[in-house]
Amino acid sequence: MRNFWLIAKHEYLKIVRQKSFLVGTLWVPAMIIVVMGVSILASLGQRGKLPLGYVDYTGLLSDAVPLTVGADGKASVTMRAFPDEDAALAALEVGEIQAYYVLPEDYITSGRAQLFYLNQRPGSVTRDDFNSFLRANLLAGYPDDVQQRLLEGSAITFRSSDGSQELESRNVFSFIIPFAAAFFFVFAVMNSGSYMLQAITDEKENRTIEVMATSVRPEELIGGKALGLMSVGLTQLGIWILTGVLALFVALFFMTEVQTIRIPWTLLAVVALFFLPAYALIAGIMTAVGGIVSDLRQGQQITGILNLFFMLPFFLLTLIMAKPNSPFIVALTLFPTTAFVTITMRWAMTTVPLWQLAVSWVLLVASAGTSVWLAARIFRIGMLHYGQTLRVKTIIARLRAERL
Amino acid sequence: MTTVQVSHVSKAFGEVKAVQDVSFEVFPGEVFGLLGPNGAGKTTTIRMMLDIFRPDRGEIAIFDGKLTEEKKNRIGYMPEERGLYKDLKLEPTLLFLATLKGIDEATARARLDPWLERFDLVDFRQQKVQNLSKGMQQKAQIIATLLHEPELLVVDEPFAGLDPVNTRLVKDIIEELRQQGKTIIMSAHEMYQVEALCNRILLIDHGRNVLYGEVSKIKRDFAGNALAIVGQGDFATLFDSARLPAVLPGVLEARQHNSAWHLTLDVGVDPQDVLRALMRQEGVRLERFEIAEPSLEDIFVTVVQRAGHEEAAYA
Repeated sequence: MRNFWLIAKHEYLKIVRQKSFLVGTLWVPAMIIVVMGVSILASLGQRGKLPLGYVDYTGLLSDAVPLTVGADGKASVTMRAFPDEDAALAALEVGEIQAYYVLPEDYITSGRAQLFYLNQRPGSVTRDDFNSFLRANLLAGYPDDVQQRLLEGSAITFRSSDGSQELESRNVFSFIIPFAAAFFFVFAVMNSGSYMLQAITDEKENRTIEVMATSVRPEELIGGKALGLMSVGLTQLGIWILTGVLALFVALFFMTEVQTIRIPWTLLAVVALFFLPAYALIAGIMTAVGGIVSDLRQGQQITGILNLFFMLPFFLLTLIMAKPNSPFIVALTLFPTTAFVTITMRWAMTTVPLWQLAVSWVLLVASAGTSVWLAARIFRIGMLHYGQTLRVKTIIARLRAERL
Repeated sequence: MTTVQVSHVSKAFGEVKAVQDVSFEVFPGEVFGLLGPNGAGKTTTIRMMLDIFRPDRGEIAIFDGKLTEEKKNRIGYMPEERGLYKDLKLEPTLLFLATLKGIDEATARARLDPWLERFDLVDFRQQKVQNLSKGMQQKAQIIATLLHEPELLVVDEPFAGLDPVNTRLVKDIIEELRQQGKTIIMSAHEMYQVEALCNRILLIDHGRNVLYGEVSKIKRDFAGNALAIVGQGDFATLFDSARLPAVLPGVLEARQHNSAWHLTLDVGVDPQDVLRALMRQEGVRLERFEIAEPSLEDIFVTVVQRAGHEEAAYA
């Protein structure tokens, strides 16, 4: 057992000290920081701007109520009325206002208005604020609570009959999070899997297998490598999640949509339950491939095809969105390699029945166990086949002959 | 009590019978040679001993029993296929391999310095293994084999890839280990490299036991089966392998070494008969004719060729 931990530590440190790991890990936080920075700057840039003008030919805004709460909860601009377009244009040209709207006489029936600006069109927040200003004044005659309801709209919560799932119509994140979880999970697992393949082929290419085989059991060697590399994947995932959480925390101060995020704890529990067996499955497959092939390049060609079995649900996104409970998608839910991604993607669309989760998990655990068991034996058969690719026929014959 | 006991082991890979009914014992504190030409089955035998391969038949006992994980820590193995992690630095690699053999890192570190100094690798300890020369990697491999101070050392072709200076160094180390009471099993196809070091040997050919026992006794038994000849004449033509049986009956092989020719005789052949046959040859002038102590290689040739003749006669 001591050697198991030593190998795990060795593999972990070997990978995390590589420049490629740092680059591969830090690009996500870097991207998040850039996106957040741009979003925040854009958000800040839309505040404190020049007033927004309007020319009202309908008479609706003759006694206008000023805008107090804009589309994002804060009033980004003040509104300034002009008697005619010439006056508004003159103000625009001398830089007193950033743009002006013209509401024609038939606005009530046509719903058409015009926006005039010089070089830069006002941002979406400013435009949304004008819409709020307009709606608020159109509803001026109604009681306050009715006004508020009509302005805010409805917040519909979709809830499954067993109460296991909830989806809020206003909360776009409840839709995005399952997809993000699927993407990052697959990315982390595939990354760890490719490290596993490299770790196994390294032993063959470096001719260290014989020394290792006389120092540790094959199970310790493979298990230690798998644990070390899974820790690499978790470290990577942890850094990404931490960065994401920090980014959201910062965004709380600038973007009101972020405040509506609800953490999908049930989904996270499912992710946690499926992570280990899914990783064990891919580690087993990668070890077996590493045991069979002669070098890393050949292994990567094979795993490139095998990876498709894990990525398949991404290619069937439209089908999953349209018919999340169709027999084919249910089959993908139960099939070990596609189970995790299908479940997380269906999570955003429908209620995944408990029996499907249970059967899927059992099948995944069983296939993961089989893959690890088989991988250890294939590794043992293939470990001394330097520079040779094992044939399936040879593997079966040796498995039978050696009763491994 | 035996350190290693191999009893009637056989191993086949498909149609190829790599090892057939091989048996031998190795006792504590001795240097044992597992000798034979390339492809004789030495490495397969070693791999079975160390549980890398499982024998199809036969039994193997290490330290009087089955090879356990604890016993693996008492063994140092340098395989014929040398290998270290090429993209790692030398020192961490050696420390990692040593800790896998049951010693803690501090002990490994303390033992490492003298070895690095002895092998002239101190300045390269923080170099990546791939940046070291082949000879340096070979020396590093030897350190990796010895750092945990094993009781049983198994070295497959220990001198392959070493220059004469380092060959001498490794021989000295083996001698020191013998004096410390360690058990050493050496495999080699160049028998002259190891015959002076070994107490006992097993000669193996085509996967079978050919000759087994104490080196000194074997040499005594085969004394008179080797001749050293110096003279003038076209010995190369005379000793051509195609002509040799007709020209010098009973001479199995002739090899030139510097200015002398070494002849290996079949068992029972009288050197005087060979001398008479030589004297009959035209254009040959002998300056020296002596009965030499046979090398293990001479003995191997004698035994293998005799076995071949017997098989042919039997067929």
